[in-house]
Amino acid sequence: MKLNRGKMLIDPPACASSDIAFTLIIFFLVCAAVQPETGMSQALPKTESKSDKRDQSQNIEVSITPTSIVLNGSPLRIEEFRKRITSELSKKNREADRIVVVKSAPDTPYPVWLGVSQAIDQAGGILTLEIESEKTINVR
Amino acid sequence: MKLQRRKLTASVPSFAMGDIGFLLLIFFVILARAQDDSHIQWQPAELEDVEMVAAPRATVSIDTGFKTYLDGKQIAPEELAAALTEVLGDAPAGQRNVFLKVHREAKASHFEPIIAAISEAGGDLVHILEPEKENPQR
Repeated sequence: MKLNRGKMLIDPPACASSDIAFTLIIFFLVCAAVQPETGMSQALPKTESKSDKRDQSQNIEVSITPTSIVLNGSPLRIEEFRKRITSELSKKNREADRIVVVKSAPDTPYPVWLGVSQAIDQAGGILTLEIESEKTINVR
Repeated sequence: MKLQRRKLTASVPSFAMGDIGFLLLIFFVILARAQDDSHIQWQPAELEDVEMVAAPRATVSIDTGFKTYLDGKQIAPEELAAALTEVLGDAPAGQRNVFLKVHREAKASHFEPIIAAISEAGGDLVHILEPEKENPQR
């Protein structure tokens, strides 16, 4: 004759459910908050108030407008600009000569500016911004 | 005859200490992230070859309305360099990361003075961007 064993039911304690749910909420909140960020580091020379005494004739100059990128006077597309800036900077040995002066039109879009600055960084250039300062003149 | 009352002892259950400690730890982790700028509306620009970036000392943002924020608080661009210098303090090189979150539609007139201010304060500039999505039509 077979004897039936009595089934043993083990329930998790229900009083702990709210604690578990609360801890899970906090866990997912923290996970969402510490989402890693991606980006691009950029080395910029520290701005100084004194007048810069560098030899400006030695520096490469880049002008950016919403429609074009001008390197030393010649307008280029971004792909051409990458090649040209790499070849220009490969000729420069001294760090001081690797300064690239960037002048942007006020309506230059951020993605265009980023593309140019990334190309300069990757070519080993030191990006320097030329910003026009606004002066207010009161006329009596 | 005097009847003695039974003493009632109230003790904190020690088995809950682990849970309490864990919750406190998480609470302080969240508090440590005081530089909350999640309320700022902006969309990151996309770029090829983006990399994972280390934790920032300060975060400067330009939102969809092209307003400037330092660690979630609105600030005038002219005051940014001084405020950043104070935030960065005497932190050594390599620990002076300043995240720059610029809305993708911003123009040079909005973001260039901000970059100049970060440079003036001696911060290590990090543009926060999204990796470029592949064009499905290619």
